[in-house]
Amino acid sequence: MFARAAIASLLVLAAASGAVSAQTYARPSAAPRTTDRNALVAQAREREIHERFMRGVGLEERGDWNGAEAEFQRLLVLDPAEPKGSTVRYDLALAEAHLGRDDVAARLLEDALHRDPRFAAAAANLVAIQLRRGDLTAARAAADRFVATAPGAALARYARGLTALRAGDLPTARADFRALIDADPAYAVAHYDLALIELRAGRDDTARTELEAALTLSPAYARARFALGTVLMRDGRRADARIAFDRCARDAEDPVLRALAIDLRDRL
Amino acid sequence: MVRMRDLRRWVIAAVLALGACTGAAFGADLILGDPGTLVPSAAPGLLGPITELGRTGWNCAPERAARARTASDAGLPQN
Repeated sequence: MFARAAIASLLVLAAASGAVSAQTYARPSAAPRTTDRNALVAQAREREIHERFMRGVGLEERGDWNGAEAEFQRLLVLDPAEPKGSTVRYDLALAEAHLGRDDVAARLLEDALHRDPRFAAAAANLVAIQLRRGDLTAARAAADRFVATAPGAALARYARGLTALRAGDLPTARADFRALIDADPAYAVAHYDLALIELRAGRDDTARTELEAALTLSPAYARARFALGTVLMRDGRRADARIAFDRCARDAEDPVLRALAIDLRDRL
Repeated sequence: MVRMRDLRRWVIAAVLALGACTGAAFGADLILGDPGTLVPSAAPGLLGPITELGRTGWNCAPERAARARTASDAGLPQN
């Protein structure tokens, strides 16, 4: 009786250990096979979209804009669904812009934003391209759209503030650069642009305060130093202005700015 | 022959330098007369390429830069 029980126990133990040591596999999924012509065409199309995207982006990262343009032109014909469709237009616009075809790039970005109105990077690049084209009306429309898409974005405020400043819309420019400073007080450039707005509005004292803030944040900011020199000179503070122009002449990397600063310093 | 070429180079350099000085002086007068001619900061640069799946998820650098709240995260010009 005892022997039978022992044998039975051994058999159960052997069966259990066998079950543990054996590997188990999930049931294999069915191989993706089809002989349907439309399905095969769709698979080939998806594969081509994937390959051309990889090659196109790789070429853009290496600065081969002609090669990238060819890849994205083909992708435009393949016309993938969103968000790839608007991304193709964005990437193609980037290549066209670097090839000097800003008009084409602007149209592609408009199309990308028509497909995906919340595509913030496309909105940003459209403002940059319209500014480069010198079309302030189109740049302003693009900048308004960018701010509406991303009202808290520093780039949106900067782009619209700069567009408004160039177009002479001082209230909008002031509001945007003020919003930029409120969000990021350490950004010296926003203080400089705000100073230019105040100078154009005839508020020299406020402008000087903003320029001093910019130079406190970035002491080697030559353009701000130059602007401060002109404000001081207009205020009759010739000795201070001379010091500002002298410092600007030493800090400026731009040869034109350096020549201007030297000329003004030597007159004082 | 070589001397003539050197002389011509010196004359051209002198004319260019004179032109630059005159231009700088003229520009300085213009700026002092009207501070509205001071140049605003640089236009924003173009954001970079986006991959096939870049906008699916959170790892899209251009989209993040376009929506960033600070100047450094947005890659704004520094002068």
